Amino acid sequence: MEIQTELIYHYPWLPSLNNIFSSIASQDPIEFIKETFEKYPPSEIRDRILELFRAAFENLEQIMEYKVDKLNVHCYLILKIFLYILNNRVITNRIANLYSKITYNELINESDAYIYDICMDLKLDINYYQLPIKFGINITKDQQEILQTNFRIYFIDYLKLSANLRDEYRRLINNPLSEGYVFIQKRSLIRLLQEYVRQKLIIRQEENKVNLDNFKGETLKIKEFKEMYETISNEWALKEEEFEYSIEIDFKSGKDISGSYPPCVQETLKKTQEGQNITHTERLYIVWFLNSFNYPEDKIVNIFSTLPDFNREKTAYQVRFAKKKGYIPYSCQSLKSYNLCMAKQYKDELCLDGYYSKKYETQREIKHPLTYVRIKQYRTSKIQKISKNQIKK
Amino acid sequence: MTENTYLKRLFQAYYRGIKSNIHIVNSFEQREFGFIPWDKQIMIRHMSFKNPQNLTKYLMVNAPKHVYSSGTLYLQPDNLDMNKKEYQGCDLIIDIDVDHFYTPCKEDHDQWYCKDCGKSGMGMPTKCPKCKSIKFKTLNWICDKCLTIAKKEIIKLVYDFLIPDFGIKEIDLKIAFSGHRGYHLKVENETIRTLSSDARRELVDYVTGKNISFEILGLREMGHNIHGLLKSNIGWSQKIMKKIEEILSKPNLEIEHLLLDKRKFNLNNKLVKSFFNSKDDFLELISKGQKNLWTIEGFTLNRWKNFLQVIVGETGVEIDEPVTIDIHRLIRYPGSLHGATGFKVQEVGLNELEKFKPLNESNQNLDPIVFKSKNVQKIEIIELFVPPTKISGETYGSFKNGDIVEVPNHIAVFLLCKGVAKTL
Repeated sequence: MEIQTELIYHYPWLPSLNNIFSSIASQDPIEFIKETFEKYPPSEIRDRILELFRAAFENLEQIMEYKVDKLNVHCYLILKIFLYILNNRVITNRIANLYSKITYNELINESDAYIYDICMDLKLDINYYQLPIKFGINITKDQQEILQTNFRIYFIDYLKLSANLRDEYRRLINNPLSEGYVFIQKRSLIRLLQEYVRQKLIIRQEENKVNLDNFKGETLKIKEFKEMYETISNEWALKEEEFEYSIEIDFKSGKDISGSYPPCVQETLKKTQEGQNITHTERLYIVWFLNSFNYPEDKIVNIFSTLPDFNREKTAYQVRFAKKKGYIPYSCQSLKSYNLCMAKQYKDELCLDGYYSKKYETQREIKHPLTYVRIKQYRTSKIQKISKNQIKK
Repeated sequence: MTENTYLKRLFQAYYRGIKSNIHIVNSFEQREFGFIPWDKQIMIRHMSFKNPQNLTKYLMVNAPKHVYSSGTLYLQPDNLDMNKKEYQGCDLIIDIDVDHFYTPCKEDHDQWYCKDCGKSGMGMPTKCPKCKSIKFKTLNWICDKCLTIAKKEIIKLVYDFLIPDFGIKEIDLKIAFSGHRGYHLKVENETIRTLSSDARRELVDYVTGKNISFEILGLREMGHNIHGLLKSNIGWSQKIMKKIEEILSKPNLEIEHLLLDKRKFNLNNKLVKSFFNSKDDFLELISKGQKNLWTIEGFTLNRWKNFLQVIVGETGVEIDEPVTIDIHRLIRYPGSLHGATGFKVQEVGLNELEKFKPLNESNQNLDPIVFKSKNVQKIEIIELFVPPTKISGETYGSFKNGDIVEVPNHIAVFLLCKGVAKTL
């Protein structure tokens, strides 16, 4: 299917970019950068790209104006080159979050037919109905709302797109599924496309430093590109400190338990550190977990300050509310079902093998992250006791 | 001659007999094979065969106790390093095995012995009723009843989930009797093979009903009213409501039994009475599906959640979850012999499944009992108690330790494979 060039101007992450702009696709990246700066006003390129980086550094969710033209395609590709040479996971995640949100806001205003074209270009197996199809009703008090949509998506594509969105309401079991297709409303479909865009921008960090340095060296020979690179790097240097992950555990009433966090908590905290957009479930889990150890509210709130949609007031209210309600963190079984269990990935012995219980005279499995912390702390205190005794001797 | 040597020779004879008819799984050369020999408790894996003839040769010579192949396709299936096998995708595998769920007939034929306190009994306890230990030695048996339950589960899986909800085509489904206590189902389809382990977990949740959210499906409390689920809502909401309708359409005595059953709804007499007072109105309301105000005295939001959870349990399928999630799992090779029974892993067409009776199959082409013979064999029982075994309509046993019995060849093979008898 031929996708309109206009659509690529608007959404340069679409696979058809390679066909419609085949000359760019086959071009050497260095030549491409040079040509872009020759063809378009450097100040315009600079403004557009720096606006994205600045917005990302400032935790904004939108930019002033998203321009739809051929230069937008060039800027998207140059943005990806920057992310590659910056080779910084935090920046990449920030940009990916922001760019995907911009995309969401653009897509939400598109017609259904356009959304369908986009899905087709992404080779998604999707059914589009010009007249909406009904999949249920929602009754609240005496109000009846017909649940209907113009889209159905093949469950495999649905699962692939929603793989990183682990919210309960997105789980297959809680969605209308029939004949292999999930009935999906436009807003939810666009949310999945947003996630696709986010993933598309998350370039794997280059492990081969020589390759990276060589390429970077070549790009920085281009004056305008170098100037932009330096601006981004300098601005990031000023901001970086704010992003640094720290859970201060030196509050007077509490104990330092950070060394006893189970892998699931470590992983979620690592994601927040990197500015990854964590799911609602992960947020709840962290709040409930830290609340269980009486972490001060402001310290918990600070953890979320690196998230792109951070709102201090809202977060503080939610942390307070959770504390008041006394919610306890998910059990290991629930964490497994939410795909948040990291025991295998972290090869954590305590999680995987359990612990020996003197009381029951048997090996027992860890069923709750709080038990994990308790046992870890017990083990640590035992080690400390032994070493103290050794020193005394 | 030891039992293992005897059984190995029998298995060799079987594989020689079928050498030209060995089952060929698709993408044969991309599958990893695994074997468990008779003399060691080890799995020999990371093997592959260029063609079925080589596999047949291997089986004729080694006649392993158990034969497996991967649901996964690899470019290098025999590479010892899993990361270097070059994963190409994995069939969707679903295993239904009565080992993993309760069936009432287990009270008649499954034995357990507590390793800690020595107490023994029949059935399937989760822990020792005396000392609460979870360390058991078990002797699990098979009967028509539990195999019929396993078959019903696989039928439910296919006709209530895989075909209507997932749109899986019949032609992509391969079903096999495992040769012991259950069935395997394999979906062989290019697109399905691309599913990640996490995505397979979602599928598992969907077919089992695990991690369902009644709130998302519509159950909520507003003021003093409880709003329930609706039959017209596609997906699990519809499944739940249909199941409730089905249950409530049963005779009252049967419903009462279910409501009081501790393994099911576990309601007290007062709540059961209250339920029956409103039953007809409730049934009418949910059948019409236009309103969702659920008002039964004593049924709070939590009570409804518990009630619905039981319905989900009745609606979902009992599957061995890790098998489906694991994308490197080996499963029994169709047409091979199960070393714990001597029965064949028998593929069964979907249209044949309803009538298929693994322990009493009249269609010779589908009969998994391959050593069937009227010739008798003398064996000695070496287990304290061996429950009755009913095969092809004839019942043998029960037996006790030291009994010397003459039984037909296939029963002898079965008891020897089970490790409860020895040759004389």
